[in-house]
Amino acid sequence: MAKRIIYPLYQLGNPQLRLFRPTFNLTLVRPGKEQPPDTVQFRIPMEMTKFDVRNYLEKIYSVPVAAVRTRIQYCTNKKRNHLNQRVKRPDYKVAYVQLAQQQTFQFPDIFPEKDKKHEEGSVEEMQEKFMEDERQRQKPDPRRGGVTEWFGL
Amino acid sequence: MASCRRLPLHPFLSSTSARLVCRRNVQVEASTAKSLYPPILPSRTAKSKSAKRRVATEFFEQLRACTPQEKIRALTRVQRKKYVIYPQTFALNADKWYQHYTKTAYLSGLPEKYSASTNAAVDESVLSEVRSVVCDSLLQELWYLKKGRTFTHKEQEQFVTPFLRNIVCGLKNLLAKENSVLSQSSLDFDPQVNYYWLRGERTIPEGHRRGLVEPVRFQIDDKPHSQIRVPQQLPEFVPLEAEISTEVPVITLAPDLLPLFRRQYDNNIFIGAKLEDPFCYGHTQFHMVPDRFHRNKMSKRGLSDQVEVSLRANGIASLFAWTGAQAMYQGFWSEEDVSRPFVSQAVITDGQFFSFFCYQLNTLALSPRADVNNSKKNLCWGTESMRLYERITDGDIVGLNDAVLKLLLQFLLNKPQC
Repeated sequence: MAKRIIYPLYQLGNPQLRLFRPTFNLTLVRPGKEQPPDTVQFRIPMEMTKFDVRNYLEKIYSVPVAAVRTRIQYCTNKKRNHLNQRVKRPDYKVAYVQLAQQQTFQFPDIFPEKDKKHEEGSVEEMQEKFMEDERQRQKPDPRRGGVTEWFGL
Repeated sequence: MASCRRLPLHPFLSSTSARLVCRRNVQVEASTAKSLYPPILPSRTAKSKSAKRRVATEFFEQLRACTPQEKIRALTRVQRKKYVIYPQTFALNADKWYQHYTKTAYLSGLPEKYSASTNAAVDESVLSEVRSVVCDSLLQELWYLKKGRTFTHKEQEQFVTPFLRNIVCGLKNLLAKENSVLSQSSLDFDPQVNYYWLRGERTIPEGHRRGLVEPVRFQIDDKPHSQIRVPQQLPEFVPLEAEISTEVPVITLAPDLLPLFRRQYDNNIFIGAKLEDPFCYGHTQFHMVPDRFHRNKMSKRGLSDQVEVSLRANGIASLFAWTGAQAMYQGFWSEEDVSRPFVSQAVITDGQFFSFFCYQLNTLALSPRADVNNSKKNLCWGTESMRLYERITDGDIVGLNDAVLKLLLQFLLNKPQC
């Protein structure tokens, strides 16, 4: 609904609650543990409920939602600052949303591995080449078959 | 060194001396020689893996000589946290997960025994009697009896439960003269069917047992609407060693993600009656779809494609539990696998739509120790849900589907080989 308002209790006969500008923000996160392919993991504000998540995704983003399960992650109050006061890391709510109509979702790779290729003639290229040669020189003689220099005459 | 020896060395210089020529075939004799010493076994009390293996092996050896009652008691005595599988579940795509946990291959359509081409043997008079029984009970519950509207979540209990009860009772008594085994069968209402088994392994993540590898335990507690138990086993659909090309789906994720929840309580194995009951084999189970999984409610929540999935999951789980418990009652368990397949049937309905399932249990060896070289898998045949009637108007049933009645008749006429 909205983050800082007391939830209006619905009783039979009340008008349908309609919200036009919700103040909720959802954060899509990469799951820490492996999830089934149709499950998407969100961090949601504490005041949101399963029905809020479902309506939010269906009405605003038109994502077909089959099931929503939530849990609250308690974060530590044990850490202390330089004044020996306990510092609380804020709690947060996690929602696991299962998509309907056999849709799947895979969290994308936001930081892909790049093969660093330095440009020709630059300082980094020469440094890299020098380090490579050093490493090659430090390696033991392959003809000894892994036996160290300790054994020998 | 040779120079320090005082004994003469010339016997060793000749290669034909008595000492060097060995006349016995040592390798051959060693294999056939009677051992004078007892076999070398690992310790039983040491803190080692081989000791644990030896203790487990000796325990299982000693179990082979016990009665089925003692076997069940020994295998279910120790309680630990286990995953509880509900046959009628709200979980999405539960049938694939359940197939993995019960090692079942699902084949759509029914076995050749019930396929459309062999329908010629159905007797018209018997079919018309079946039709009259079904129509009478349908009209009685839905038209003639004045029933007030109940709560939404009690509709099935009010309208469909008595209808199903009347059908089962009526058809069983009607077909007792066609199928002699039905006359000596036991019809239970609201029986309990429980089964407990081990499948797969997991490493304990937290706690004082952290890092240990332990088997994953499952329990099914099912309450079908009614079931028929018979004194002899139904004939198999497919031989035990037959090759079926359909694969069992493999799920690598933890059961918690389905979601499945863990509890610890009595590990029960029960077919609906105690061990000494003469009606120890199963014939047919009848299940009723509860209100929250009715197709109207599911489509209102946007889960119309999950209706069939939940019916399949229900069939697979319930029938696996029933056939597994029947096999345990006969003394088979994970280390002593079934020597003959156990067969049962089920009909799942919500009053208007009927689905038929057949199950053949080929293997009970699902525990991590016994599943290493096991190529057998259990089989489940099932149909899509078929409509029995369109609607009921003015004391008349519109659009009665004869195929459903024929299948129902064939299911109940299934008899064990004499």
